[in-house]
Amino acid sequence: METDRPETASSKTTGKISSACYLLYAAGCLIPGLLALRDLLFGYSWHVSLPLSGGLALSFGGGGLSAYFVVILSLLVFCVSIYSAGYARHSSAPWSALILYGIFVSSMYAVFYSANIPAFLIFWETMSLSSYFLVVSDTENIEASRAGLLYGVMTHVGTAFIMAAFMVMFFATGSLEFPIIKAGLAGAGGLRSVIFVLALIGFGTKAGIIPLHTWLPRAHPAAPSNVSALMSGVMIKSGIYGILLVSLDILGGGAGLPAPLWWGVVVLSVGAVSSVKGIMYALMERDMKRLLAYSSVENVGIILLGVGASMIFSFNNLPSLAGLALAAALYHTLNHAVFKGLLFMGAGSAVHATGTKNMEEMGGLIKRMPWTGFFFLVGSVAICALPPFNGFMSEWLTFQSLIMGIKTSVVLTKTFMLLAGAALALTGALAASSFVKAFGISFLGVPRSHEAEAAKEAPATMLLGMGILSAVCLLLGIFPGYMLRLLSGIPLPGLGSLPQFAPGGLAVTGVACSGVLPIVLLGALLAGAAFIFIFPLVAGGRRKSICADPWDCGIRKLTPRMQYTATAFTHPLRRIFKKIYKPRKEVRIEYIVKPFFTREIEYRSEITPLAESYFYRPLVRALHNVAHSAKRLQSGNLQLYLGYILGTLVILLVVWG
Amino acid sequence: MPKAWVVVYSITDFITVGMLLTVVAMNSLKRMESFIRAYTVNSLLLAALMAVSAFYLDAAHLYIAAAVTLASKGVAIPLLLKKVVRELKITHEVEPNINTPLALVISSVLVVIVYSSLSKGIFIEGFTENTLKVSISIILISLFIMITRKKAVTQVIGLLLMENGLFLAGFSLTYGMSTIIELGVVFDVLMGAIILGVFLSQIKKTFIDLDLDKLTTLKG
Repeated sequence: METDRPETASSKTTGKISSACYLLYAAGCLIPGLLALRDLLFGYSWHVSLPLSGGLALSFGGGGLSAYFVVILSLLVFCVSIYSAGYARHSSAPWSALILYGIFVSSMYAVFYSANIPAFLIFWETMSLSSYFLVVSDTENIEASRAGLLYGVMTHVGTAFIMAAFMVMFFATGSLEFPIIKAGLAGAGGLRSVIFVLALIGFGTKAGIIPLHTWLPRAHPAAPSNVSALMSGVMIKSGIYGILLVSLDILGGGAGLPAPLWWGVVVLSVGAVSSVKGIMYALMERDMKRLLAYSSVENVGIILLGVGASMIFSFNNLPSLAGLALAAALYHTLNHAVFKGLLFMGAGSAVHATGTKNMEEMGGLIKRMPWTGFFFLVGSVAICALPPFNGFMSEWLTFQSLIMGIKTSVVLTKTFMLLAGAALALTGALAASSFVKAFGISFLGVPRSHEAEAAKEAPATMLLGMGILSAVCLLLGIFPGYMLRLLSGIPLPGLGSLPQFAPGGLAVTGVACSGVLPIVLLGALLAGAAFIFIFPLVAGGRRKSICADPWDCGIRKLTPRMQYTATAFTHPLRRIFKKIYKPRKEVRIEYIVKPFFTREIEYRSEITPLAESYFYRPLVRALHNVAHSAKRLQSGNLQLYLGYILGTLVILLVVWG
Repeated sequence: MPKAWVVVYSITDFITVGMLLTVVAMNSLKRMESFIRAYTVNSLLLAALMAVSAFYLDAAHLYIAAAVTLASKGVAIPLLLKKVVRELKITHEVEPNINTPLALVISSVLVVIVYSSLSKGIFIEGFTENTLKVSISIILISLFIMITRKKAVTQVIGLLLMENGLFLAGFSLTYGMSTIIELGVVFDVLMGAIILGVFLSQIKKTFIDLDLDKLTTLKG
């Protein structure tokens, strides 16, 4: 998909038609998006049922949680479709990509609207399958088809768990409709925990929680960048949606039935581990899109931190704190969709322009692609949770809820909140470092390859898609109060008791009071920037500026190879977290005259992915061994097979005859 | 029904035991022609059994079934098999996997197992419990014949024998299903035999041999 083909007249028309189709998608997604926004603002909800044969029906409903996710989806689909109009112009298979994209997007809508088990499962599978085909759409890339296989296996394992959870629901209540199940499960006791665990594993696979994340850093980068933006931005959120739907809405019985304490603790721990380890692996990535994919694991972790904290607060009967933590999680869900979509689109432009995903071969792109660079910078700042962008607001809220949890009187809650807060703090620092690396290595400095030197700015539609999301990043960061008003309409425990925030700023009252005014922050930042510009002029008067090469330590000419590399940048952290990364280093030197003159130095460094080495690989090896011993039964000899049949028949006859 | 049931029972038992004996005897047969002849006798006995029951039960549709069985299994299929054997020049079944005395012992052990472990089922007038037991023994022994023999043709005959056993079992439990179903089954068997005949000649053409051991080379 990333390769340019010589443009013929027919491919040009095809490109134009497919661009027009993508713009149609963009226009089309506005309808459900605006309707859902209306549902959310005025608290409407609706329900339709389409009867199928055999007493089966597909039910759909809107309002509340599903309306919120539809708004997120529509916002992102709108921008990504505009971006795709430019991006897909050079696609090698425009029609199949266009159709699959449409199926993928509409199945996501249907998943969020589903109101009974058959509808949910059918569209969940449609979503998984269409995204699988999009991942493997680059047929020449063997890596992509491997990633697709892994994705296919993992997503079906997840679906199996989801189906199991739904089956338990069905057997407990005898109904396929979510509202009836909700009422029927209120007194189910221990069965609720079974459903919760099954659903957490099933939906967690889609959301990419560690250790079920292995497919995510492979499959997301393998897909075309517009699809990666949707997969990372919204599709993994369908996992979050599922977790919220099952554990808070359905199992909460609608009336805020509190979850057992250990549910919250499990979700909180999963969130903490995913966020810290996700960002640690992101830090070590050289592949730009994989870095973003790992960072998605991290952000899912942050969202789950909020969800887990909310569950623990509900258990301790602290509804306003529970609402705050849940609002932070939902807010971060939207924010992550926005800036991760933006970053994937920016990465897509950079990858498209340079033809490589390896950051070590980019460099200096900001001079050649100024707008893409600027939008990527906005996304990076937002994901690092720096004001005045949206990432700051939601992470600040998450922090606030955790810190107030520390101030509560329950010792157990205190301990968990303290640990989770520490994990979130570490995550924030590592995220900043990751994105300094991602932006610095690929956009700053001088080009590290000829392709990077020849890079050209992306077409206008692609820039427009990114530009809109950048603006949304800023708006969501400046007007958090409006966002929280929107959230307070969702009928989930605690959200109704959210304090009504002033639209300009946020003030959190629970155990203590804390507030922030983003407009003031923005003003302070702008004033500070202006000060930096003006101060030298005022203090030192006018000066003459001279452009010269930087000091080169006496080496006559600096080459791009002497720049700080991504690997070098992260080296200190690799040393610090040696216990977790378990880095393997290999240096091979060829000498002309030992030990002073070298001909060639090869340096290779790798980190050990823990989940793969200690969970998946032993599992696969064990499966292989079992399969190998089973192979002995299959000798290929016909008489032997007939013998098996005879033996089985005789045994059956003797035992049950 | 004013028929003498003792007579009926003894006649059906006589015929079914005859069928069992032909199948057991096939374990010791090595020449292809006698192998086919034994199958023919087995099928003829089956047709006779159906005719006798039709006479005693006054069931017209059983006469049709008997006639069809006679025509297909007693005449058409043996002729077809003979033709295939002649065309492919198979005269001997080269050494079976197990020697004859052992094969006979195992067959009789199978019969003993069936007789000792099959509990009382639902039996209908005109047939004894014996018939069902014999039919299941026939099925197991035919399967055993398929295991011990190597040539593809003997596999086919074993399969046809199993079909006879199944037919007998179904017949003894239900007086024969409705005529149309029986006709369908018979037609299936006939078609199966024809297709297998064609396949055998194809296998022979492709592999020069009909020895099934050679098929293991197809394994991936």
